[in-house]
Amino acid sequence: MLIVESLSKSFNKGKNYSVEDVSFQLKKGNVCAIVGESGSGKTTLVRLIAGLERPNSGTIYLDGKVIVSIDKFVQPEKRNIGLVFQEYALFPHLTVFDNILYGISKRKDKKQRVREMLELVGLSDMEDRYPHQLSGGQQQRVALARALAPEPSLLILDEPFSNLDTMMREQLRNEVFDIIKKTDATVLFVTHDTQDALAVADEILILQNGKVVQKDAASNLYINPNTLYVASLFGNTIHINKNLQDAFHCPLKPNCSHAIRNEKIKVNPKTGDPECEHLTKAFIVKKIELGDYVQLILKLETGDQLTVVTKDKSIEGTIVIGFNSKDILEFKE
Amino acid sequence: MNQVGNKQNTFSLTKRLKRLKRDVNKWSVLTLTIVFFLALPVISIGVELFSGPGETWSHIVEYLLFQYISNSLYLIFFCSFLVLVFGVSSAWFISRFNFPFRKQIEWLLILPLTIPSYIVGYAYAGIFDYGGSLDMLFRQFNLDFIRIDIMNRTGLAFILSISLFPYVYVSARAFFLNQANNLLEASKMLGINEGKTFFKLMLPLARPAIIAGLILVIMEVLNDYGAASYYGVNTFTTGIFRSWFSLEEPQTAIYLSALLVAIIFALILFEKWQIRKVRFTSSKTNDTQIHRKDPNKPMQWLIFTIVFIPVLLGFIIPLSQLIYWAFLTASTVFDIKFIMLSLQSFGIAISSALITVFFALILIYFSKWSALRLVKNISRVGVMGYAIPGAVIAIGIMLPTIALDKWLIQTLKSFGIDSGFIVNGTLIALFYAYTVRFLAVAYNPIESTTLKVDSSISDSSKVLGVGNLKTFFKIEFPLIKAGVFSAVILVFIDVMKELPLTLILKPYAIDTLAVKAFEYASDEMVMEASIPSLFIIFTAMIPVIFLNKLLIKR
Repeated sequence: MLIVESLSKSFNKGKNYSVEDVSFQLKKGNVCAIVGESGSGKTTLVRLIAGLERPNSGTIYLDGKVIVSIDKFVQPEKRNIGLVFQEYALFPHLTVFDNILYGISKRKDKKQRVREMLELVGLSDMEDRYPHQLSGGQQQRVALARALAPEPSLLILDEPFSNLDTMMREQLRNEVFDIIKKTDATVLFVTHDTQDALAVADEILILQNGKVVQKDAASNLYINPNTLYVASLFGNTIHINKNLQDAFHCPLKPNCSHAIRNEKIKVNPKTGDPECEHLTKAFIVKKIELGDYVQLILKLETGDQLTVVTKDKSIEGTIVIGFNSKDILEFKE
Repeated sequence: MNQVGNKQNTFSLTKRLKRLKRDVNKWSVLTLTIVFFLALPVISIGVELFSGPGETWSHIVEYLLFQYISNSLYLIFFCSFLVLVFGVSSAWFISRFNFPFRKQIEWLLILPLTIPSYIVGYAYAGIFDYGGSLDMLFRQFNLDFIRIDIMNRTGLAFILSISLFPYVYVSARAFFLNQANNLLEASKMLGINEGKTFFKLMLPLARPAIIAGLILVIMEVLNDYGAASYYGVNTFTTGIFRSWFSLEEPQTAIYLSALLVAIIFALILFEKWQIRKVRFTSSKTNDTQIHRKDPNKPMQWLIFTIVFIPVLLGFIIPLSQLIYWAFLTASTVFDIKFIMLSLQSFGIAISSALITVFFALILIYFSKWSALRLVKNISRVGVMGYAIPGAVIAIGIMLPTIALDKWLIQTLKSFGIDSGFIVNGTLIALFYAYTVRFLAVAYNPIESTTLKVDSSISDSSKVLGVGNLKTFFKIEFPLIKAGVFSAVILVFIDVMKELPLTLILKPYAIDTLAVKAFEYASDEMVMEASIPSLFIIFTAMIPVIFLNKLLIKR
């Protein structure tokens, strides 16, 4: 079990914080994704946990022991944390076999263990190769096997798929997490891609400017985002401002901000969907074909512009759009 | 409000102290200790300043100081001008145009660096002397010999320039080769001609690289003792020697050293200041090599002539003169004693190269393993030795080692043991001085190779449960071997050539080839100096050719 308590790190003596007052817990055997844009501090956060950076304040416990605090620092080599780097960081002068052996050279059954790991990642026939002789996906699996070999208390994956193209990415992600699931490892998974996070994580931690904005079960984040920022991370979202409230005739609570996901806006050419509670007229400014659906850029009577999608490609001219109260996302200010 | 309070709290003094206690480790302490010993020569000179100037100081200020300063400035300006002309033009022609023998000249232009400037000085003195090579050449054609006197500061400036311009050539060429291609293509696409591209685009962009090379030249000029003393030009370095040895006034030597160090630090500050505005973001190293132009034939031969002149002046002419002398004196100089001396010289150079590289590695890695950023910044101080003239370092090492030896003798006496000097005047002091002086020579190539190794590679070793030292031996060292190897070679060459520091600190019974050459030349036996000189040149040449090949391959 990993416990992080009000962890802070500044690289410039407190002018800005890369990680600010971050607290969270991760249960044994769970997969937690850390999601944020680049510069949100997610890599710094995992480097602090791994012991590759030293925090300015805060405490981290791993399996009940303090691994870092204001007056204690356990060296990274003593933490038993596995880390898979974005660029894999395989040792270029060692074979696949020796790369995996590297972290377990003190164990009695080391060779046996290396073979097990090679089998786990499906690279048994490549043990004598050098990293440069492997494809990107194979290197990734070696890095994973190397990190898993010492049976770490915690496995950290730092943007492991960002170097791969979209096609390979999904396949490899599933492969990697199938392997991880077999080992019951506790996993911290850093990514900027919410799809990756939703696909594999039990819970998701959202970082923005070094602070935790929300931590929740993956399924809950989409339905109950804390802030507009979180909502927009998981799909295109429209902020319902005063103008839109008027246009759609939907009075909303004061002191709160509201948003609606683009896909929840229903499009009907003439009368509007009878099931929609809030309707307004809109004029199609531009139509963009995107495969099996079209994106419409609309102008409302109030002058506001909106973007919606529909499958009805024949749509033209002035139309009616609308949404339901239950789909409105509400955030406290 | 609460959060602001929290933030300040994070950086309160007690928290800072707690973190300092947490983050200080043995590596921090060791790094600081080593940096202290590397800075000790300069520190001791600084401390000794407080003992007041020597008796002759006022005399020197009145009669000689102006001469030292004006001669040194004259040399700096004259040399800067000539090395820029030679170095930048040849670097540009080499990297931009095709012409006959381009490949050969590309590395021939580096070779002047293999001849120490004092040796170039001896060779040219012989050429221009009465009865020298030029005189003989004139007589062959029954012409009257018009003697040009080069034994003055202008001659010295010329000698230093033709032997030091490769520093500028190398750094300018590296810039033109690696950085310039896409900018050059962009300039071409905008329809700018060759000359304008060079003066408006390449020259301003290359300025930081060129100035970096130029600063090295100036440091070498201020470091020179052998050539200046042979040409009878009073500079700071010769002044330091004279006050220490002839006037036997250490205090005066110390004051001159301090002044020289101050001038050099001012120069370094000037360099930092001049690149402050022009810290160009180096475009990512592009793999595309610069595309060379093919001018017409006469133009190609003109370019050949231009780039061949510095090779001729800095390498071929002095080398031929030395070889000629070597034939005349081989029978008297070359004997078993000389072979022993050469071996001794090699031994000293190799040992000090290994020691220096060892400390460079320690400084680089210990400061990396220290978790304190302050220690990392301070560790850079350890590299400043290269800026400080050998004579100054020698004096800065004499002071503390003599004090240490006096203390040791006293202490040993109280145990009933009689002993002489243990550190001063022994190889220990000499190796110590070489390490201080040449640490940067080893540090820079090693550091640049370590930067090429992704830091996540050593991080992953640590995360896999392997400590710093073992990570170094198993992962880092195998990956930086090439850099370490070139560092050993570079220091080896520099020690082989080194003169002023060796002259002051070498043990009585031990000689190096450089010292031997200097002694012959000072004893009016400049011809005999040719054989030890050639030995230095040839040993320095082989690795330079070898390293340059590596350089071109990359």
